[in-house]
Amino acid sequence: MRIWLNDQPIVFVPGMKVRQALIQADLVQEIEKGARVFDEWGNEVGLDGALEDEMRYVLKSGA
Amino acid sequence: MKKKCLTPFISFLPLIFFINFVWAGGPVQLRILYLNDFHGFAEPYQPVGSPEKLGGIAFLAEEVNRLRKERPTLLLAAGDMIQGNPWANLFEGRSTIEVMNAMDFFAMVLGNHEFDFGQEVLKKRIQEARFPILAANVQGMSDIKPYVLKEIAGLKIAIVGLITEETPTSTDPKNVKGLAFNSMIDSAQKVMQELGDQPDLVIFLSHLGLQADRRLAQEVKEIQVIVGGHTHTRIENPIQVNETLIVQAWEHAKVLGVLDLTIQDRKVIKYEGKLVVIRPDKFRPDPVVAEIVDRYKRQTASILDEVIGEALLDLDSKGSRYQETNLGNLIADILRKETQADVALINGGTIRADILKGPIRMKDVLSVLPFSNYPVLLKVNGQELKAIFEYGISDPDGTSGRFPQVSGIQFTYSPMYPVGQRITNIRVGGKPLDSMAWYTMATLDFLAAGGDGYLVLKDIIEKGEKDSAQNHRVLLFDSSRKVSDLVTGYTKEKKQISASVDGRIQKEK
Repeated sequence: MRIWLNDQPIVFVPGMKVRQALIQADLVQEIEKGARVFDEWGNEVGLDGALEDEMRYVLKSGA
Repeated sequence: MKKKCLTPFISFLPLIFFINFVWAGGPVQLRILYLNDFHGFAEPYQPVGSPEKLGGIAFLAEEVNRLRKERPTLLLAAGDMIQGNPWANLFEGRSTIEVMNAMDFFAMVLGNHEFDFGQEVLKKRIQEARFPILAANVQGMSDIKPYVLKEIAGLKIAIVGLITEETPTSTDPKNVKGLAFNSMIDSAQKVMQELGDQPDLVIFLSHLGLQADRRLAQEVKEIQVIVGGHTHTRIENPIQVNETLIVQAWEHAKVLGVLDLTIQDRKVIKYEGKLVVIRPDKFRPDPVVAEIVDRYKRQTASILDEVIGEALLDLDSKGSRYQETNLGNLIADILRKETQADVALINGGTIRADILKGPIRMKDVLSVLPFSNYPVLLKVNGQELKAIFEYGISDPDGTSGRFPQVSGIQFTYSPMYPVGQRITNIRVGGKPLDSMAWYTMATLDFLAAGGDGYLVLKDIIEKGEKDSAQNHRVLLFDSSRKVSDLVTGYTKEKKQISASVDGRIQKEK
């Protein structure tokens, strides 16, 4: 299964959450700076939210 | 005396008031309040990166009370309510159900995490709940109802539950033994057939995730409202797919979902939805719910302070970033035992405190392992296993947290050799490593995702996902138990805890 985070493909397995995708993309530290994750329809998602196959997520800076 | 006489009258007041909203054949107003993925976050907290504290179930409850006074209201929960925060976990979800009873929830769908304490505990929670707990696509547990059909404000309302089909892969297999998680679409269609033309309004309470909710709305067009969860999605305004409205209220009671419907001739002729952000500094708490929250909070503090075992010697974390330690060995041994793996790997950086000789309290374990790390069981071959540990010892100075603490494996390494060629004499289960053989390796979800630079693990998982289904590398992703829970459970069971440095990682000088 695969998602996209900032256009970068990330393979995941069922059970993985947004937080693990951020770790894979080495972006988790951005959250501490206030960045937030949005799904492909522009809805914010929580870090413990389940990943969905082929979903495109975007990390937006908190600045 | 006067109070007694007044009580029945007061309790009829909302009824008299709501009659204004009910006209035979005319439009009927209905309010749906909803919550999902609460995960036992009973108290307000400041999310990482947020400038303010949010949430607090007592504050949310008071807002529910206020909104309920305005029109006929259903309060619904879209799953993952009873597990997550210690406030809920230490009571296996009982605290959450007590709060939900006090708030007079109308119905709840099971989330995948509702199974995390096992089926017997879940059955108890279902019995305690004074509201139905639903899931139409789960077979094998008679306590779970597929749907409820009730009359509210003159409307016959069907509420149907659906849970993610991926539940069996995200919890310990024993938690779902004997249960079947059927196709959401087939189950939804079956229920719709059973309901026939009885309901005036069909609400699906879903723990499927937004993408699946959208698919459900596309394929089962009779659904008028989907109240969703699982993806922790903050849907500010209802999403409309054909004639179906989809809503979801983020997570952890940080917001309360409000959906106002006007219904006429079995159609939603008008709707308005929003999320109310729960700012504890701007709301008053519901006193009944606040009492429950505080009572369990006090009990949480005393449970964390209880002695659960005894350390027979100092369990030392110091040096875990550059050498084998007895505490590292203990945690890795527990992880391997609990997952029945050949090998276990944790990173030294995950161990954050010592346990001194003497009584061990639950809070000590949480100080040692403060992160929410979950066990993952992988299938790796001998060649990959060597590559994983070569990476682990590639920074022997310990500036990063990657140094491996291991179980089931022994090896020798020399920092004098180039990175990638430092390990010699690897033995798994006492036998020399076979580079072509398959092994099971337990680790942390953090490392499996490539944390602390373990890209080698991430690559193995990616390669497996691209291969045939038979070669998938993740055998278990257990999000039902943190590694700290495993250590706590082991300590409670064994009572007397000791561990030693036995030379499983040897450094050549």
